[in-house]
Amino acid sequence: MGINAVLTERQDATLTPPRRRRRRAPRSRGAHIGYRIIATAIALLLWQLAVVSGIASASAVASPTSIVRVAGPLLSSAQFGTALTDTIMSWAEGLFVSLLIAIPAGILLGTSDLAYRMSRFTIDFLRTIPPVALIPLALLLYGATPKMAFALIVFGSVWPLLLQSMYGVHQVDPAARDVARSYRLSRMDRARFIVLPSAAPFVATGIRLAATISLLLAVGSEIIGGAPGIGNAITLQNQAGNVPAMWVYIVVSAVLGVVANLALIGLERRVLKWHSAHRSADVA
Amino acid sequence: MAFSSPVSRRRLGIRPIRPLYVVAEIAVPSGLVALWWVLSKSSTSLYFPPLSQILSSFHKVWLFHDFKADAVPSLENLALGYLAAAIIGIAVGVALGLVPLLSDAVAPALEFLRAIPGVALVPAALLLFGIGPEMKIALIAYGTIWPILLNTVDGIRGLDRVAGDVAASYRIRQRDRLFRIVLPAASPQIVAGMRTALSIGITIIIFSEMVGSTNGIGFQILSAQRNFAVPDMWAGIVLLGILGYLLNLAFRGFEYYLLRWHRGMRQIAGN
Repeated sequence: MGINAVLTERQDATLTPPRRRRRRAPRSRGAHIGYRIIATAIALLLWQLAVVSGIASASAVASPTSIVRVAGPLLSSAQFGTALTDTIMSWAEGLFVSLLIAIPAGILLGTSDLAYRMSRFTIDFLRTIPPVALIPLALLLYGATPKMAFALIVFGSVWPLLLQSMYGVHQVDPAARDVARSYRLSRMDRARFIVLPSAAPFVATGIRLAATISLLLAVGSEIIGGAPGIGNAITLQNQAGNVPAMWVYIVVSAVLGVVANLALIGLERRVLKWHSAHRSADVA
Repeated sequence: MAFSSPVSRRRLGIRPIRPLYVVAEIAVPSGLVALWWVLSKSSTSLYFPPLSQILSSFHKVWLFHDFKADAVPSLENLALGYLAAAIIGIAVGVALGLVPLLSDAVAPALEFLRAIPGVALVPAALLLFGIGPEMKIALIAYGTIWPILLNTVDGIRGLDRVAGDVAASYRIRQRDRLFRIVLPAASPQIVAGMRTALSIGITIIIFSEMVGSTNGIGFQILSAQRNFAVPDMWAGIVLLGILGYLLNLAFRGFEYYLLRWHRGMRQIAGN
């Protein structure tokens, strides 16, 4: 898909005039942000109304005002700090180890045509096993520990990363490869100037996918398995009947997701500035 | 995907499939299963029972003793939640995509809602709906709607301006514009969102069954583990692997059929 998409993108660019800004009349940035603030405020107001009016039962859903009221003292408590660090640590560790395993392995498997084909089906199959299915096994092996969460996260995020890096390396533009060969570039130079740049956007996508999956698994294994962290805090507050505090933790888990996503997109944009997908995004 | 015609194969520099490759592609997975069989044959470990034992409990539990009681409800809930998400997600996505001002304004709220990990909402959903199927359907719908909705918005907003202008100057009716120009043009991206949504949906259904349920595949696996019926637990994991793979395969078939025109276009553009 990848190389084809890139090729057609380029060709499209020569056939059709560059896409203009989607919005017709340029508006000021201020108005733009203003609309967003208004829309977000309306969304919060609707949420509040749904809880106050009883459409959403107050024993299950906390209103924004009650969340904010509880959030102040809770967010500064030591208990919250520990839960947050626990989740972030197992998330980051799991993701980091998956990167260390999957990217080199993917590059190796992608370089050889035979290895690529030999492993494709197996990896594709393993990737489709929902990682949550392994929670019971991980619980048996490691109990309700951060190690359990770590094992699950690695299992869940290794496959998309592996597949993306294999794919990226395997999809090197054949013209570029031929040019490299006819100029007799050394192996190192080929890896440095041809393979890595072509695989990088695929790997970047893989990292973003893996980050989302591993956050989900971190929180999930804490809810079911009882490993310490935000997910566990959600269960504990739920069992204590403390609905607003439970929602504080739910909101925090979402904030983690947003922050991670923004950070990775920002990083990707910076590192892959030269790539056509990002160049055209800047123009459009 | 895009390599179906010999032309594109050659263009991409991919050599035609050699029998060796086909053999290799089949040999590796079967070799791994054989290896698992041999290594676990005399296993006395509680956690890693012999594969033969796993298979016999797979046969005992899932063919077809508990299939109807546990696997069918899981699949039903998944289908209902996923369908609801697809219909609502595409409809709202189209509406938002056609009004850039609106989709711009609600973008932060949507991004935030999407970022809530579906599993974090399970306890709240349990309070709200109890342990019935409604809880699972609602959770699946919630978890799967965001990739579909946001991809629909993106797909529609990325619509070729020229196509829109042509439609306007030919005074094509609104309805035809929507169904013949806008939706088809956005469909590759919508389908991509639906693919992401499918794996999220599978995760959520299993998870919600583990946390609060009295039936379902997830419930079976967790209760087998709690009773130390380890081969039964493994059998459930094997079933999920197979079901997950088949669902993905079915989706790929659907995508292949729905986007066949797109593949053709890309090849023409490429040549």
